[in-house]
Amino acid sequence: MNQIIDAIYHLFLPKHSNNFRAKLLHHDFLTVYLVFALVLTVGITHLQNSNGSILGYATDITTLKLLELTNQERSNQGMDSLQNNEKLEQAAQAKAKDIFEKDYWSHYGPSGETPWEFILGSGYQYEYAGENLAKNFLFSDGVMKAWMDSETHRDNILRKEYTDVGFAIVNGMLNGEETTLVVQMFGKPLYSAAETKPEKTAEAGQKLAVKPETVSTLPQKLVLSDSDKTLFFPSYLNINLVFFSFLILALILDFYFASKLNLIHIKGKNLIHILFIGFVMIGTFIVINGSIL
Amino acid sequence: MELLKHIRKELKKHPFDYLLFVTIGVFFILALSIFQGERLLEFIILLAFVTFYIIWGIYHHIIENTIHLKVVLEYVLIGFTLLFLLKIFILP
Repeated sequence: MNQIIDAIYHLFLPKHSNNFRAKLLHHDFLTVYLVFALVLTVGITHLQNSNGSILGYATDITTLKLLELTNQERSNQGMDSLQNNEKLEQAAQAKAKDIFEKDYWSHYGPSGETPWEFILGSGYQYEYAGENLAKNFLFSDGVMKAWMDSETHRDNILRKEYTDVGFAIVNGMLNGEETTLVVQMFGKPLYSAAETKPEKTAEAGQKLAVKPETVSTLPQKLVLSDSDKTLFFPSYLNINLVFFSFLILALILDFYFASKLNLIHIKGKNLIHILFIGFVMIGTFIVINGSIL
Repeated sequence: MELLKHIRKELKKHPFDYLLFVTIGVFFILALSIFQGERLLEFIILLAFVTFYIIWGIYHHIIENTIHLKVVLEYVLIGFTLLFLLKIFILP
């Protein structure tokens, strides 16, 4: 037991055995951290390239989780759950493909393509339809939180008229950078076949639009995918936070005891290291979230 | 608390240096928030902040007359470790 306590003291506190500098802050330990971070970075890039799919596991966003979170939000408001719809999923996939091919980040394409064209193109004839977009998020929860924090996106998620939803999570190059795109398409099908009815559409940030359309009833089918994706990022985030916390703890203890004992040492400023790690920790929580549209 | 007393003492010794660092740190957070989702820009912002941190260290220790290769190495090791760890989130 005493050996364990001594080892902890040796790692965290300045004392004779570690030349009055917490061992965790010695140059050999700092070098190990850097080599480890470098190996991790290079290893992950290599792993992705060897798998043949750039960004193949770059996010922990899954359609299953997004559907669950969407329905959870609706359930919290006492609303009916949405059913995952294969046609809307196809429409979302087509929209994502179009965004990457034509390189735009908008609800409307450069040639005036509307979200509704993709929905109709998939064979889903709708009475109501809507679209939410997100890019470069790492977690499903982050996407849903950003959408729920935005009034227009939240309105889409909580629109009582919708009965179906379809998701697409697609990786590609957008504006010259690797991007993970999430497309969420909502809809309510028209039930009477070959009937002319007004058609109402809504996307985040826009009110319902109405236009005439000839419609037909379409079958629905539950399709879920991406449920087997790896959960790399939650674990990696936790490891990072634990590492940062240990480093900060060692720096605080080293700073405290060095100041208290008036130790004179050739070393960097602990206070600045702590501030730096603190800012980077805050930055971590920002970069794991992307942007929505 | 004794720890706070030591922190205050250290801050009072170099108020400008610490104020400069905190100001740039706040700008770093603001810039990341503004360009959230723009991966390349996020990485450039992070790289700029790490570079500033290392330059701050060199500048501060020159002023304090405590500059040494070991000190510079300490800033470089910590700075680049955090850069690589965060890079995985930004440009996986």
